Amino acid sequence: MTKLKIELIVNSKKRKIEITPSTRLIDLLRDDLHLTGTKEGCGKGECGACTVIMSGELVASCLVLAPQADGAVITTIEGIGSSDHLDPIQEAFIETGAVQCGFCTPGMILAARRLLEENPPPNEEEIKRGISGNLCRCTGYQKIIEAIKLSITRLSKSDSRKAK
Amino acid sequence: MNRQNSFEKDFPGYIAPQKIEEVLEILSKYGKEIKIIAGGTDLLVQYYDRLYEVSAWLDLKNMEELKEIKIDQNQIEIGAMATHTQLESSADIKRYYPVLSQAASDIGSPQIRNRGTIGGNIVNASPAGDLLPALIAYRAQFKLVSHKEESIVSAEDFFLGPKKTILKPEQLLSKIIIPIPEQNTYSSWIKIGKRKALIVATVSLALVLSMAEDNKIIKEVKVCLGSVAPTPFEIMEIREKMIGRQFNQLDFNELGQLVEDRISPIDDIRGTKEYRQDVTKNIMINALKKIYETWRQSR
Repeated sequence: MTKLKIELIVNSKKRKIEITPSTRLIDLLRDDLHLTGTKEGCGKGECGACTVIMSGELVASCLVLAPQADGAVITTIEGIGSSDHLDPIQEAFIETGAVQCGFCTPGMILAARRLLEENPPPNEEEIKRGISGNLCRCTGYQKIIEAIKLSITRLSKSDSRKAK
Repeated sequence: MNRQNSFEKDFPGYIAPQKIEEVLEILSKYGKEIKIIAGGTDLLVQYYDRLYEVSAWLDLKNMEELKEIKIDQNQIEIGAMATHTQLESSADIKRYYPVLSQAASDIGSPQIRNRGTIGGNIVNASPAGDLLPALIAYRAQFKLVSHKEESIVSAEDFFLGPKKTILKPEQLLSKIIIPIPEQNTYSSWIKIGKRKALIVATVSLALVLSMAEDNKIIKEVKVCLGSVAPTPFEIMEIREKMIGRQFNQLDFNELGQLVEDRISPIDDIRGTKEYRQDVTKNIMINALKKIYETWRQSR
């Protein structure tokens, strides 16, 4: 099959990649860029394990053709903190016990990251709606919601400190 | 073989034109062979389930003019590439077409609403398409364009059966045009599914009702249903039972029964025929009660 050349920014790095027209964004991330933090669950956009942020929007990377992401700016879980410097959302997930098997966690954290950009900060209902595209079969969601609330509180505190 | 070669030469399996003229040109040549892709939230699920082969994708992602929502005194024009997120966050749609706004916000999940488009929801022509009952209820018209000509068709004439529409291979759905509802218009949207997010409707109902200037007599009504027939459709028989009457002359139970009698649901994984019949009657009654309450409080 014909190969196409595309260019996109993944986790602040410019990438030039050759792909087939029917390659999915998730395959580009996992197989070509070896960013395996993005998980594949259902492959139908229903579980949210493959969630990434594409040009400012939450998307299911299993339902985006790689050529559709030509020119896009992508953030995957690898672009959020590192093992040495965790993102406050990641710290909050660990502290509240919001991670069990961990398979949904990358997608959940990206959904949370997107929620934290909302202004004013989301209330509980809005948090629930914000993560409604991400399935978790372990936690029962309560601890995930607590983790997101905790990171919102911390973020607003650090913001007000910065403002001073 | 030759044809395949010329096709491959023109574009290598994927193209995202910058201009609508280019899209129409490609459609006039290769409309039967290529797949138009917008958000991909339905199309790619079907594709990766191997329901069909695709030799090339025609991506509409650069069609900026098809992403706009424009309103004037008489109508709203929604570009076919407007996403469900755009629909649910549009203040104009919320104000004039609350049922469409709610239906859009009930679709899938944030991930799906950010990518899925109104045009995709329409041409995919699922009997359960979430926006479709609302579009019929608000008398939407679809603008279909091709290399040679353009035409306008009303929503109820567009759907032929599950996944079947009157759209021809060389045609593109470019815009959805909806007249501004009259004053004293009341509406209700009910979607029934096994859970709130990421669910295909078991039954859905859009009821849009306009009162006469005195706000006492029902002037116009449309009751449209999804997931209970091969296409989303309007229950025409409701009109003669409601138009020209006042609320206190209506028997909500009888109207619910009438709707139940006019649908032709099937058994599937989302619900049985009997379940859909019972629920349809009940949601019709609930929609009427809701509208009656809103009307009463507005007086």
